[in-house]
Amino acid sequence: MEIELLSTSKDKSTIRFLLKGTVPAFANLLRRVILEEVPVMAIEDVDFVKNSSVLYDEMIAHRLGLLPLTTDLTFYKLPEKSENMGKGRAEVELKLTLKAKGPGMVYAKDLQSKDPSVRPVFPDTPIANLLKGQSLELEATAVLGRGRSHMKWSPGHAYYKYKPEVEIRGEVKNAGAVIEKDHNKIFEMKNGKLAVAKEAALSCDLSLEYSELDPAISITARDDEFVFTLESWGQLSPKSILEEACKVIEEQCTEYAALMKESA
Amino acid sequence: MIIPVRCFSCGKPIGHLWAQYQGRLSKGEDKNKVLDELGIQRYCCRSVFLGHVDLADEAAQFKKF
Repeated sequence: MEIELLSTSKDKSTIRFLLKGTVPAFANLLRRVILEEVPVMAIEDVDFVKNSSVLYDEMIAHRLGLLPLTTDLTFYKLPEKSENMGKGRAEVELKLTLKAKGPGMVYAKDLQSKDPSVRPVFPDTPIANLLKGQSLELEATAVLGRGRSHMKWSPGHAYYKYKPEVEIRGEVKNAGAVIEKDHNKIFEMKNGKLAVAKEAALSCDLSLEYSELDPAISITARDDEFVFTLESWGQLSPKSILEEACKVIEEQCTEYAALMKESA
Repeated sequence: MIIPVRCFSCGKPIGHLWAQYQGRLSKGEDKNKVLDELGIQRYCCRSVFLGHVDLADEAAQFKKF
């Protein structure tokens, strides 16, 4: 199996790569491990001291839970991997406090974290609005978790598709009509001839829709190469998400092999 | 009520973009263009923005039960 990086977004939060020489089952394994098994930090418990805002405690707790928090995987441990589920342990639980008085909007940046390396990825996310005289005071506990128990612990969005192979064989009679119907711009005119725009053809989700534009155009999908897109929500970089996913796959395979040996 | 922190369908964090979006719309910019430039690509995330009515300030004036 080979990996070839195709593109990185400007803000480095999204990468697209080619997975070569593998099967759909493996591409899906990688996708599911990224979504469900790579741990990230998220707020799990919230203790309210005071809340006179218009939003109910549960709603604010829910909003806090959905905030992506920057995650340091070298220090923090999953509760289930720590003694006594890690109650009160610094490497498992992190306290964040929030104190705000109206009038005004309460933002994610108003959360005071005990650990400066763990903070909301998007500080401008609105939490609640307060009118004059209203106030909000709470203490939140963030823990590591996995996407399989709640999507707030999912590090990002991962998806893939078969790699489209766009080819032009011979003469295209009505190139103008093809260009006109090609909304995703997977074709371009080069020296008066129709040519394939490689980048656009790879990123386009509808490539196969264009296969009947002209008899000279052939568009097929390879089932051993995948265009894989990984979008990070900001807790971890796409690179560390992939590395962590590989670690998880390795761990699970080792466990599986050991169990098979035991039962044999 | 108040803008969701994340997109309902795909989970992309979008709440922090609402103020910018509103600010630019009030200057008369085109919704389509603003959404594109804010990086809101998928139609699930776009629908959260297009369908949202910010009633938090109105609702705040009434008593909560």
